[in-house]
Amino acid sequence: MISKCFKPFLMLLIIFSFHSVRADDSVTPVVTEEPAIDESDLEYWAYQAVVRPDVPEIENDRWSTNPIDRFVLTSLQSKDHQPVEFADKETLLRRVTYNLTGLPPQPEEIHKFLADDSKEAWNKVISRLLDSPAYGERWSQHWLDLVRFAETDGFEHDKVRPEAWRYRDWVIEAFNEDLPYDQFLKLQLAGDEIAPDSDNALIATGYLMAGPDMPDINSQDERRHNFLNAMTANVGEVFLGLRFGCAQCHHHRTDPISQHDFYRLRSFFETIDLFKDQPLPEQDDDKLKARVVKNRTKSFPESYLWIRGDYRRPGDVLHPNFPRVLQVSLSRELTDDLKTGRRKALAEWLTDHNQPLTARVFVNRVWQHHFGVGLIPTTSDFGWMGESASHPELLDWLAAEFMEFGWSIKKLHRLILTSSTYRLASHPSDSLTEAQKKNWNALFEEDPENRWLGRMNRQRLEGEAIRDALLSVSGELNRKQGGPGVRPPLPPAVASTLLKNQWPVTEDESEHTRRSIYLFARRNLTMPMLEAFDKPDANLSCPERSQTTIAPQALHLLNSEFARECSLYFAERLKKHSSNQSEQIEQAYLLSMGRFPTVEEQMACDEFLTSNTDSEVALVDLCQALLNLNEFVYLD
Amino acid sequence: MSQHDSQFEFAANRRQFLRQAGGGFGALACASLLNSDKLLASSSAPQTHFAPRAKQVIYLFMHGGPSHVDLFDPKPALTKYAGQPLPESFGEVMTRRKVAANPLLQPLKPFRKYGESGIEVSDFLPHIAECVDDLCILRGCHGDSVNHPQSVYQMNTGSILMGKPSLGSWLTYGLGSENQNMPAFVVMLDQGAGIKGGPPAWGSGFLPATYQGTTVRTGETPILHLNKPEQMTRPQQRRLLDFIKQRNEEHLIRRQNDSELSARIDAYELAYRMQQTAPEVMDLSQETASTREQYGLDDNKTTEFGTRCLLARRMVESGVRFVQLYSGDTNGWDAHNDVLQNHTKYCEATDKPIAGLLKDLKQRGLLDETLVIWGGEFGRMPMSEQGTGRDHNPWGYTVWMAGGGVKGGMVHGATDDVGLRAVTDTVHVHDLHATILHLLGLDHELLTYFHNGREERLTDVAGNVVKEILV
Repeated sequence: MISKCFKPFLMLLIIFSFHSVRADDSVTPVVTEEPAIDESDLEYWAYQAVVRPDVPEIENDRWSTNPIDRFVLTSLQSKDHQPVEFADKETLLRRVTYNLTGLPPQPEEIHKFLADDSKEAWNKVISRLLDSPAYGERWSQHWLDLVRFAETDGFEHDKVRPEAWRYRDWVIEAFNEDLPYDQFLKLQLAGDEIAPDSDNALIATGYLMAGPDMPDINSQDERRHNFLNAMTANVGEVFLGLRFGCAQCHHHRTDPISQHDFYRLRSFFETIDLFKDQPLPEQDDDKLKARVVKNRTKSFPESYLWIRGDYRRPGDVLHPNFPRVLQVSLSRELTDDLKTGRRKALAEWLTDHNQPLTARVFVNRVWQHHFGVGLIPTTSDFGWMGESASHPELLDWLAAEFMEFGWSIKKLHRLILTSSTYRLASHPSDSLTEAQKKNWNALFEEDPENRWLGRMNRQRLEGEAIRDALLSVSGELNRKQGGPGVRPPLPPAVASTLLKNQWPVTEDESEHTRRSIYLFARRNLTMPMLEAFDKPDANLSCPERSQTTIAPQALHLLNSEFARECSLYFAERLKKHSSNQSEQIEQAYLLSMGRFPTVEEQMACDEFLTSNTDSEVALVDLCQALLNLNEFVYLD
Repeated sequence: MSQHDSQFEFAANRRQFLRQAGGGFGALACASLLNSDKLLASSSAPQTHFAPRAKQVIYLFMHGGPSHVDLFDPKPALTKYAGQPLPESFGEVMTRRKVAANPLLQPLKPFRKYGESGIEVSDFLPHIAECVDDLCILRGCHGDSVNHPQSVYQMNTGSILMGKPSLGSWLTYGLGSENQNMPAFVVMLDQGAGIKGGPPAWGSGFLPATYQGTTVRTGETPILHLNKPEQMTRPQQRRLLDFIKQRNEEHLIRRQNDSELSARIDAYELAYRMQQTAPEVMDLSQETASTREQYGLDDNKTTEFGTRCLLARRMVESGVRFVQLYSGDTNGWDAHNDVLQNHTKYCEATDKPIAGLLKDLKQRGLLDETLVIWGGEFGRMPMSEQGTGRDHNPWGYTVWMAGGGVKGGMVHGATDDVGLRAVTDTVHVHDLHATILHLLGLDHELLTYFHNGREERLTDVAGNVVKEILV
């Protein structure tokens, strides 16, 4: 096996050679031979089943709370470092509340947590948040980013898929009910084969149909080909954390995934009766049909390798099979004539405890959304081109633990959130000893990217969380759950970029202030504010959002009608709370920053309010200023 | 190995940087961010791969597909054989609307020779015809799809699939912004409605959102949320901003290592300055009467497109890197029923303004450094549709360029005798993109972005610079 230290060199070579491929490739003879998997391929860690590592023993360890910490501390100590101090309670509450629910903590929740000195206080907060419906409303978005969810087709007519919201609601419910991840996966890939009479199981297969579609294209063969290839690529990257999409036109350049592997994986989906809306069996309304999956009942298409990924050039006939490099130690057999039940077989294989990637990939995603970065930062690429794990043993231990306690996502959250590692401070506080300062400086200097987890990462809120927080702070957030997507008014300049009648505004205005997860997801148009804050395009799977800092974000929060209205309601809310100015300021900080203001901040706000002749306007301005602060959009 | 290690680490840092950096509308990172990181300060400022011929681009997109055989590609054979079916020797033709067996339709207006070059241009476009010695007419262009959105996406992003970064995004990613107070990549749509395929046509795809096109409108609010709330006075807004700044700076004291936080402080000052700069650029009141006349602002038929052409000139003057103007609403130049009627309308609306733009740029000495591009997502078929219309034709069509390092008074490439397919010196969309990047000093094979395990390019694995047309 090529040792890991050659990897950077290899990557440069690959990148270089990749671009020497030219358009006139099509004239060279087509090679469809499948390269054999050799031993060195199989030695790569990610293709080996998870073996639970021993938890390190540490002498005199009073810092660790659970095994996660012992892995982290051992690694830090091996580099002569120590973790920093814990964050204060207000910071922790804000961090975990946004992390789990995407909303700010309420003042009464802050008071209660600060007053609770019991050992159980932190656990109680975690339980309360995991039990809140807001939890599923937040975590479903992470999933929807991966699966390219939108409620329209995209392309020219960007036609509405009227029942697509049912899949979004199913994902929210799955998180809220703590549907075990193996079930979550199985239903999305094969709900129709597992429980054909259940609406929920069928709706779950909306996953497979979530991507863009071009119904109007001349060649329906091309449409089907593109759709199936994108579906296959998505399954590979979302569940297996491997860049399968790279192998649709040629063998993967660095990972042992052949073009044959790609089209064998696609073959699992070849029997789907694509592009046909299907009735939901439990609904009384016969006319209600949804874009869910059912198998064809006759004329099962043959599966081919498509030469150069071209839908007009079929190559060898292939049969469904699992990627060769992942077949070690698995005993599942597929029969060639399998017509229905293919996807169920795939889902079962994916959730077999010996299958090396499914659990690792998912625990890493959960870690990513708690710490801002995964233990493997390239969360959808565990192959050669991906980055290495900062704590490989911790990753394996979490994966083993996750499978052992029955794939419960909520248990996984609890395990991570109760660790000492999660509760570390993200920046030095004012009152540090010399030793502590030295520790901070050493960590900044030697581990600027915080791969060793000696401190917490500062995180920026996503666009959805910022919008929801503005509504929450203003007291206007409508907490209604579920149902069809909502269309609040768009600025005319934005609406005019759409075709006519593509954005009929939802009549009931109270709906306009619902959580962002319930906004209608049009593939061809992202809500401008969410777009400014990096909501990803729904055409590609997005495992890690970009985080840009651009002036249009400031224009949104300073000048949009939405931001100004939220500030008005925020000010009204403060006036109702108290007529006393300093109490208003205190409440304003609790609502927006999740903490009490300092003496200096009280004074600065006082001055801002009193130096202005119009006190009504001044309070609104102050509220708007708070909603624009760095502290408001970042988590410590 | 250590040398390679450090190179890789640098690459990773640069990616990290690109994920996080930002600042103004454009791609140039905030000064504070650069200063805070010495590694990046020395190497991340956008650089061209070689000396650029053009500094900026004005792309005139004729949405819907203008008919090359009726505008820039004269076909006597089409007149001669009008009414007859396409000879069998042309083989099978993929079309959008099953027009392959329909009779050939003659060009709807005569062509005449113009200028020293004597290049023929149709009577549809008498004003642009006068500028023909500045045009480089590519008559052998071709693309891959007979459908609108796929072709709109391909012309803008290189791929028929939606969701890839657009040409303007790639350029601003590669070159940065000349003026942070203005967006680097501006899109001005026709007043009618959106285009087929919608906003993804100017999206940044997998590139950071910083690089996406900003839609700018004529009128009082050119940029979304540019104007402060109605009731707010300017001093009041300044006070609010000062308060934000003070509190943010206080917040930063304990987070000195965090360059993103200081970048965000700067972004607020930029936003404030933009509120002043953008309306100044959009203000045409200082333009002379003769300039306004030159763009057709005094005529109802041309005033709308003329205004946008004039704004395009003002924008490139103020440092906007890439301005894209769309002519045509949702249907635009899509003349399925009646080419004469459709093209009369759109040619009248755009002919004089485009000629005015070319002349004005030339008078001001800007044409040399500004690449002007004219074209649609495809051309139209030589066969008729419903007697007087023409169907989509991606297999052969015309795009022209002017200024910015291309030869003037030149015809490059050709379609077959009836204008069905590009046959000589053909230019695929990837070649067109490679050439545009080249003119701006960028090598299309080196302008890459690491995404999903792959170094992505605008031209995928294809593209050849059309060297013959370079000055």
